[in-house]
Amino acid sequence: MTRIFALPDVGEGLTEAEIVRWHVAPGDTVTLNQIIVEIETAKAAVELPSPYAGVVSELLAEPGGTVAVGSPLIAIDTGESAVEPAAAGVIGEEGPGGRITTLVGYGPRTTTVARRPRKPVVTDPAADDRESVPLAKPPVRKLAKELGIDLSTVLGSGTGGVITREDVRRAAAAPTGNGAGFSAGAVPGTGQRREPVRGVRKATAAAVVSSAFTAPHVTMFLTVDVTPMMQLRVRLANQAEFRGVKLTPLTFAARAACLAIRRTPEVNASWQEETGEIVYFDYVHLGIAAATPRGLVVPKIHHADRMPLRELAVALDELATTARDGHTAPADMLGGTITITNIGVFGIDTGTPILNPGESAILALGAIRERPWVVDGALVPRQICQLALSVDHRVVDGAQGSRFLTDIGALLSDPALALTF
Amino acid sequence: MAGSAGFQTITLAKGLNQGIRAAMEADPKVIVMGEDVGKLGGVFRITDGLQKDFGEQRVLDTPLGESGIIGTAVGLALRGYRPVCEIQFDGFVFPAFDQIVTQLARFHYRSQGKLRMPVVVRVPYGGGIGAVEHHSESPESYFAHTPGLKVVSCANAVDAYWMIQQAIACDDPVIFFEPKRRYWEKAALDLTATPPPLFSSRLVRSGTAATVVAYGPMVRTVLDAAAVAEQDGQQLEVIDLRTLSPLDLAPVFVSVRRTGRLICVSEAPGEASLIGDLAARVSQECFYSLEAPVLRVTGFDTPYPPAKCEEDYLPDLDRILDAVDRVLRY
Amino acid sequence: MPSRKRAPSRSAPAAEPVGDPTVGGPTVRPIVGTAMEIDGPHDPQQVIAGLRATSEGEDLVQLLTPEGQRVSHPRFDLEISAAQIQSLYRDMVLVRRADREANVLQRQGQLGLWAPLLGQEAAQIGAGRAMSPQDMAFPSYREHGVAWCRGVDPTELFGIFRGIDQGSWDPVRTGFQLYSIVVGSQGLHATGYAMGQRLDGKIGNGETSEATICFFGDGASSQGDVHEAFVWAAVYDAPVVFFCQNNQWAISASLDRQTRVPLYRRARGYGFPGIRVDGNDVLAVYAVTRWALRECRSGNGPVLIEACTYRMDAHTTSDDPTRYRLADELEEWKLKDPLERVRVHLVREGLAEPEFFNGVADAADELARRLRDYCTSMPVPGPERIFSKIYAEPSPSLQAARADYLAYHASFAEGDH
Repeated sequence: MTRIFALPDVGEGLTEAEIVRWHVAPGDTVTLNQIIVEIETAKAAVELPSPYAGVVSELLAEPGGTVAVGSPLIAIDTGESAVEPAAAGVIGEEGPGGRITTLVGYGPRTTTVARRPRKPVVTDPAADDRESVPLAKPPVRKLAKELGIDLSTVLGSGTGGVITREDVRRAAAAPTGNGAGFSAGAVPGTGQRREPVRGVRKATAAAVVSSAFTAPHVTMFLTVDVTPMMQLRVRLANQAEFRGVKLTPLTFAARAACLAIRRTPEVNASWQEETGEIVYFDYVHLGIAAATPRGLVVPKIHHADRMPLRELAVALDELATTARDGHTAPADMLGGTITITNIGVFGIDTGTPILNPGESAILALGAIRERPWVVDGALVPRQICQLALSVDHRVVDGAQGSRFLTDIGALLSDPALALTF
Repeated sequence: MAGSAGFQTITLAKGLNQGIRAAMEADPKVIVMGEDVGKLGGVFRITDGLQKDFGEQRVLDTPLGESGIIGTAVGLALRGYRPVCEIQFDGFVFPAFDQIVTQLARFHYRSQGKLRMPVVVRVPYGGGIGAVEHHSESPESYFAHTPGLKVVSCANAVDAYWMIQQAIACDDPVIFFEPKRRYWEKAALDLTATPPPLFSSRLVRSGTAATVVAYGPMVRTVLDAAAVAEQDGQQLEVIDLRTLSPLDLAPVFVSVRRTGRLICVSEAPGEASLIGDLAARVSQECFYSLEAPVLRVTGFDTPYPPAKCEEDYLPDLDRILDAVDRVLRY
Repeated sequence: MPSRKRAPSRSAPAAEPVGDPTVGGPTVRPIVGTAMEIDGPHDPQQVIAGLRATSEGEDLVQLLTPEGQRVSHPRFDLEISAAQIQSLYRDMVLVRRADREANVLQRQGQLGLWAPLLGQEAAQIGAGRAMSPQDMAFPSYREHGVAWCRGVDPTELFGIFRGIDQGSWDPVRTGFQLYSIVVGSQGLHATGYAMGQRLDGKIGNGETSEATICFFGDGASSQGDVHEAFVWAAVYDAPVVFFCQNNQWAISASLDRQTRVPLYRRARGYGFPGIRVDGNDVLAVYAVTRWALRECRSGNGPVLIEACTYRMDAHTTSDDPTRYRLADELEEWKLKDPLERVRVHLVREGLAEPEFFNGVADAADELARRLRDYCTSMPVPGPERIFSKIYAEPSPSLQAARADYLAYHASFAEGDH
C-alpha cells in the first residue's frame, strides 16, 4: 500500500520547514531509516529518515519550497497489503476525524476551526447554575432605583418571575404613586381586558381569603328602628359644639359599638393560633372599612373607646378623607381590634361581612330607609336600619354575639340608654 | 520580507528579534543576557544575529543559572545598564524567583527612587507545543501578584515588535511574557505606525453579544472562536489585555457596560489567578450593567499534563463557545 | 591528587589555609592545592586551554587508551575478566543502538523529543555497573545508560519523550529516580536521600552499606542548587557521589562559560575529594566510581567525580550544534570513541570471538526492532489522566472539577479529537 510521510515537528513548536534537497527520486527503493530528504527549519538543518521501506512513488514537495508541519512530503509504496488503520490513525495520514493524524512530534496545533459535534442529550447548564430566581438583574435594579420604584411592590413578568425593565417602566408610569400600578391590558380583538393583581388589591385578596377560611364565621342580623338616633343627629348638628363636625349614622354606630364592647369584651379579642391563646384587648382600635380608588382599605382609629362622640366624629371624617386620598399612615393601618363596615352608603340593606384577619367581630351597617314599623300597635313609617354582625365563633359564642348586637341596636334605637352603659 | 507600501510580514519571533535590535541600536546601555542567546541566537532564535552584530560585550552567553542571570542583571542595572534577560523556558524561571521578587521588584521602593531597575525579563510561556515537563507553564500570576513589577504579554507579531522596545525603554522592571506557541505566526508590520502605550489593553474585535477578554496565546484562540460564533449569528467583542500588571481595565469596563456579559480566558490554572482578580474588579465596577455573572475559562487546577493530554487541558474553541452559550442564557 | 582517609564523623574542617589570592595582597598566599599553583599563571586563555585538554594530564584516571591499550594506574588498577569486559561492551553497544533508534523515531514524529547520549555510553555504563542493588541513582534527563544498568528498559523512558507520562518506572524498585528536567535540582534531592541513608544507619557496614549517586552535567554545575547540595553534603558527610558528566557543552555554552577551574577541583572548595576520570574509558569510570561508592559506604562521602566525555550529538533533537561548534572538535572526539577502544582491545587481546560480536550486533538489531514496535503502538492516555493522582489525599474540589470535566468530555459525539 502507499504510505504518506508528513513533515513532523523536528524542534519545539516549529510550524514549517524548507525543502533543501531530496536524496531520493520516484522509483528509488528506500530502506527503513534511510535519509530521504534534507530540510531547513527556523532552528536547524535536519535530515529526515524514512519511516517506511519500499519504493518511492511520488515526491510531494518541491526543493526550495516551504512546507507546513503535517503536510505530506513523500509517498512510498511499501508493498504491504492494505491494513485497517488502527483507531488512532496512521502517522501523517488522515485519521478518523478528518484531520491529519498528529502525534507529539507535530508541533503547535492549529486551533480547531469548528465546534465539535455534541451528543444529543444536553442538560441545560443555566438551570443548574441558578438556585433561586433573582428579584431583578443588576441593570433592572439600577433602573428601578433611578425611577424610584420599590422592586418589592413590582410583580415580575420575566421567566420564573424575574422583574424586567418593562415591568419597572410600567410601574413608574402607573397613575398612583405607591407602586401598585395597573397595567393597561386590553388585548385587542379578544374582548378581554387583563389586569394583573398587585399592590393593595393583592393584599386585600390575601387577607380576605386568609380570614374567611380560617375563622369559623357566624353572622347575626338585627333590624333596628333608628329614628331616635336620626333625630338626635339633627339636634346635635344644630349645637355649637358640633358646628362644622360631620355627624353620620356611622358616627353613632361607632360610638354605640365602643359602648357595647364594655358589656361584651369577647368581641374585642383575637384568636392567636400560634400561642394557643385568646388575647383580650382593653383598648379599642376601631377599623373602618373604606372604599378607595385603590380598593378596600381598613384604617384604624386608635383608642376609639376613649373618644367622646365629637372626637370620634372628627376622627372618622379625617380617616375617610385620608383613606380616599391614599394617604393613610402605615401605623394607622395596623393593630385593629374590631371593624365596622358601612355598606349602607352603597344602598345595601345588609350583608355577611368577613372578619378582618386577627379580629373576632365585624359590624355591617346597612342603609337607613323609611319602612313601615309597628309603634304602639300602629303601623307607621320609621327610619329602619339592618345591622349584621359576623363573629369568630372560636372566640365569640351565640349569646355573646347576640348581646353585643342587641346592645348596639338598643343604643341606636334609644340613644338615652347610653347613660346606662 | 518586504510587503506592500512599507508593510513587512514577519513572525512573532522575528518581531521580537527586530525590536530588540532596534532597542540596542538606540541605546548602547542595552545589553542582552541569557543562556545560549549569543552564539546560538537563543533556542527559539529570538536573539539570532545580535551577538554577531553587537559583540560579546553586549550579548552575553551566561553560565547555566537563572538566579545568576537575574541577580547579576540587578547589579548591572545599578551600574547604569539596561539588561534584557532571557529565561529559556517558563518552567525554569523559579530559581530566579527570589531575585525577581525580593530584589528586582523592590530596589526602587527600598531606595525611594534613588535606584532604578530598568530590566526586562523575557519569558517564553504557555503550552500547546507538545513539549516535556516544565516547558509549557503559565506563571504570570505569581508576577502580577508582586508589587514593584510590571508584567506584559504580546499576542501577535506587531505587538511583539513594539512592546519589547517599549519594555526596554521603561525604567521599571518588566516581566515580558512571550507566547511560544505563537512564535511562528505571522502578521503585517507597519514600521511607520505609532504604537499604543505599553500598558494599555486593546479592543481587537467589535461585537455585541458578549465581551471576551484574553491575553498572550489565548487571544488567537478566542478570535478563532469568535469567527465560529459569527457563523451562528453571535458577534463577540474581544479585548487583548496586553498588560497584566498594571491592568488597563477602562476598555473592558466600556465594553461590558455595552454588552452586559464578560468571559475571561487564560491558559493558567484558574485557582488564585490574575483572571480571578480581573473578574472581581469588573463585577464591582460594572455591577449594574451585568446581565449575567462573569465567567472564566481557564486551565484546570492541575499540574500541566504530559503533552498527549494537553489538548484536553488547554482552553479551546469548544470550551470558550460553551461559556458564551452559558452567559447568553441568563 | 590528594587522597585523604577521613573518619566517619569529622568535627573540624580541613586544616589547610585556603586564602583568597585576590584579596589582601601577597601576604595571604595559599600553600598547596589551588588551581593557580598547579595550572600555572592565571591567564584566561591558558585556563581555557587547560579546561579543554580534558583527555590528558596526570590527574585524569585512565585504564584503557583510545587505541584500546590497557594502562595501569597507581590507585585504580582494575582486575576484570574478559567476560566482564564483554558484558560492558555489550551494554554500551545496546545502549547506543537504543539511543540511535530513539533519535530516528523522533525524526519520524514518533517521539516529540529525544536527549541523545551518543558518546557518553562509557561514562554511564561504567558508573551504572559500579552501583550495588541497594544504591540509589538520581539522574538528570540523559542517563539512559544508567537506566539500562538499573533495569529500566528503554521503552520505559519513551513515555516522557512521547508525551504520555512524566516518568513511568518505579524509582524505589529500580533504585533509579525519575528524570529531572529542571537542571540541577536533583543535586539537593540526592544529598537529602543520602542524609537519610546515614540517619538510617545504612553506612559503615561494608559491602552491604548503601550509597547514593547523583548524575549531572557541566552546565548544571553552575546552578545554585548544585552548590547548595555540595555544602549540605559536605557538612552532613552525606554518602553521595556527585557524578558530573562533563560532555563539554550545555546546549551552546562551552565549558569555559561555566567555570574557570576544572570541575573536579570544585570539591576541594567545599571540603571533599574530587577526581577526574576519562569518561570515555568504561574501565576507568567503573573503577573510580566503585571506589567512590565504597568511600561513601564507609562513611567517607561525599565525593565528586568529573567524567570527561563529549556530547557527540545535539543537546536534544531540537538543537543544531553546527551553529556553535566546529566540526573538527567532533572529529577529534570520534578518535576517542568509547565503544571502539573496547572493541579494539577485545579483538587485539583475543578476549572475544567473532560470534560474540555477531551476537551483540544481532541483539542490537533486535532491540531496535522491539523499541520501534513498542513506540509506534504506544496508547494515548485518556482524559482522566489530567486529574490523576495530583495529591496523596483527595481534594473534594478537585474531584468535583474532575467529574465536571469528564462529563464535558463525554458530551462530544466523537471520542477523539
